Amino acid sequence: MSSKRKMAASKLERKNYKWIYLFLLPSFIVFVTFYIQPIFTVFYTSFTKWDGFNKPKFIGLTNYINMFGNTAFRYSLKNLLLWSIIAAVLHVGFGVLVAFAIFKKPYGWKFTRAVFMIPNVISAAAWAMIYRFMFHDDMGMINNLIRKINPDFHVQWFYQSPFAFIAVTLTWLFYAVIVTLIVLNDLFAIPGDLFEAARVDGASDFQLIKYIQLPLCRNAIGTSIIASITARVAMYEQIALTTAGGPGDDTMNLPVILVKSIMDLKYGYANANGVIMFILGLFILWLINKLFKMNESVY
Amino acid sequence: MKLKKLLKSGIALGLCLGLSACSGGGASSNTSGESSKAVESGDSKEAKDGASGKEIELKIPTYLAGENVGATFFLPQVERFNEKYAGKYKVVVEEVVQDSYAEKIKQLAGQNKLPTLVHSPGSGGIDTQWFKQVILDNDMAYDLTDFAKEYPDVSSSWIEGSKEFCTVDGKIICNPLIVLRPIGLYYNESLYKPEKDIRDMSMDEFISGLGDNKLAFMTSENAWTSSLMLAALIANEEGGVELLNNNTSEKLWDYNTPVMVNAVGKLQKLLQNNASSNTVGAAYADAANAFMSNNAALICNGSWMASEFNEDAKDKWSNGFDGKDVKTTIYPGNVALANPKAYGDFWISNAASDEQKEAAKAFLAFRGSKEEIEAYILAEGGNAPNIKHSDDFLNKLKENNILYQLDQSMNADTKFVATLGDILPASVADTEFGKLLPKLIDNSLTPEQFCAELTKKAQEAKQ
Repeated sequence: MSSKRKMAASKLERKNYKWIYLFLLPSFIVFVTFYIQPIFTVFYTSFTKWDGFNKPKFIGLTNYINMFGNTAFRYSLKNLLLWSIIAAVLHVGFGVLVAFAIFKKPYGWKFTRAVFMIPNVISAAAWAMIYRFMFHDDMGMINNLIRKINPDFHVQWFYQSPFAFIAVTLTWLFYAVIVTLIVLNDLFAIPGDLFEAARVDGASDFQLIKYIQLPLCRNAIGTSIIASITARVAMYEQIALTTAGGPGDDTMNLPVILVKSIMDLKYGYANANGVIMFILGLFILWLINKLFKMNESVY
Repeated sequence: MKLKKLLKSGIALGLCLGLSACSGGGASSNTSGESSKAVESGDSKEAKDGASGKEIELKIPTYLAGENVGATFFLPQVERFNEKYAGKYKVVVEEVVQDSYAEKIKQLAGQNKLPTLVHSPGSGGIDTQWFKQVILDNDMAYDLTDFAKEYPDVSSSWIEGSKEFCTVDGKIICNPLIVLRPIGLYYNESLYKPEKDIRDMSMDEFISGLGDNKLAFMTSENAWTSSLMLAALIANEEGGVELLNNNTSEKLWDYNTPVMVNAVGKLQKLLQNNASSNTVGAAYADAANAFMSNNAALICNGSWMASEFNEDAKDKWSNGFDGKDVKTTIYPGNVALANPKAYGDFWISNAASDEQKEAAKAFLAFRGSKEEIEAYILAEGGNAPNIKHSDDFLNKLKENNILYQLDQSMNADTKFVATLGDILPASVADTEFGKLLPKLIDNSLTPEQFCAELTKKAQEAKQ
């Protein structure tokens, strides 16, 4: 009976193949046109000297050699490493904490969830401008609060070392709503029987979190870390509109170098930078997948 | 069953066609979006109209519109042109934010859809490097040699240095400058009274005479007011005038020279001792605000700022500031910042239709007429060395006290030098210079290290 059904299903599948392929075709066209073709262009032109207008000229690995000799690039890698650690530990940690708090459904949890969502509907560019005012020395809220305790306090957060790095980090650090939503989704999906059984066995709240909730949210936390770190690789507005990578190269990152290279008509160099970003993105994906064993089932 | 099949095929085909239609449209309009379409449709319509003897419409994307300070003169000028040539030519202004202008033009050039009239490099953020590499190397600029012959009154007013600079391989590729607008400085006499005209002081005299007075400096955006002071400091060093004036064409890539290091050393002292309190992080608006709120006694800027000190701009003043107290002059050592070796104001796209070129030439000729030039000088200041002015004009100029003061502050011995924006590569002048200034202020960098860092940035931009 079962093998008959299997055969029938296969027959049905085979019959529907052409429709499956036909309906997949639009997505495939989109994928090739808007993803594969640009990626191919980026890879190819990264080995050329190209001003974006005239024909690219093949120069081998020169763009990559120049890039690794570039101080701003080295600063960018250092900053990316620091921001990745901060994102993985503090940013994701904060988002997970909020998710666990909301999961308990305390009084006003829906309101908290909605408020926590607000920064996400405001563009990164607008946030950058808001932060510029918040961190302004004369009229900024932060310095005026600090001056209540220390009247002589004067710091231009976005323009002085080492404050610029801290200020840029604070522009995204606590906006972890995506992390919260992903984790919350997994928390709500945990079968209630598990909690009941654990309670019957005498498990405390902390033990529930440690032995049930956290392990079962492993994939969600891993996904959040991937999303948070790749967002740091691609972070542009928060830096371009506040410090532009300065003072000096203190807050430099890869997208700022990419845009600056385009300003200097170095499209080949900019695309070499793009290739590095692409490789870093893939590496992060692979690393977090491995660390969190995301290919294995949590149940 | 057949109907079901037909429906499925229809949906799938619809999806495919819809997508390809979307991507096709995107490819043609690309990132320039509506604007390029507007220009293209405008051009084709104009060409049609021209052929049928109707009014030729010339659409000019420009940043001299809206809130831009240059709009005050440019927009009424367009109206005067339209009135004069009603029924023959009509200029339609398409407003583009100044910060986006260069990007838009670069994209339109990439699609070979340039507007007929384009602002020259050096204005609107268009850098000379791009202009040479893309526009000149691909012969995309219309040769104005015939225009010069057709309108001798206009071409005789062109400043020689600018005409030479605009002549490439025997072709005049940009409309050369007629008016030179030297940049000096403004000071608030209620706060700072120099012992003698600043122009006649040496730089050291000027610095020591400042006392506790503050200068409105910037470190954000392109650090414009700070870069003007550095150019004046360089010009006052031995060999500084030559350094500034001999590198406008090929740009300066190495700043590890005694002239630069000494000038940066003096700038560092000024930034540490005589900078307004908001200097670190100050954008142009902050610097202007510091000056117009009595928090800074001096600001380096061009004649276009003069209108800010008129009574009708008093809503921008605060803290007891009065525009009547503002005086202007040029820099110590009789130095004024002006670069005649520049690409003028506009150039015409070679791809434009003949009718469009004709309208564009008529507009350039109108702008270059003596009446319009005099109106421009009265509105925004400047000096047209090849135009003989009427007494009426000179009397009117005297009525504008600040512009007249600036005009009178220059004499036969005045040394005109280029600004840093003219000699530094675009990314160094526009971002790197300002980004390094905070490190100069807090002593993280010595003047030597500052110059070395700046050189490194220039070399990286060159690679």
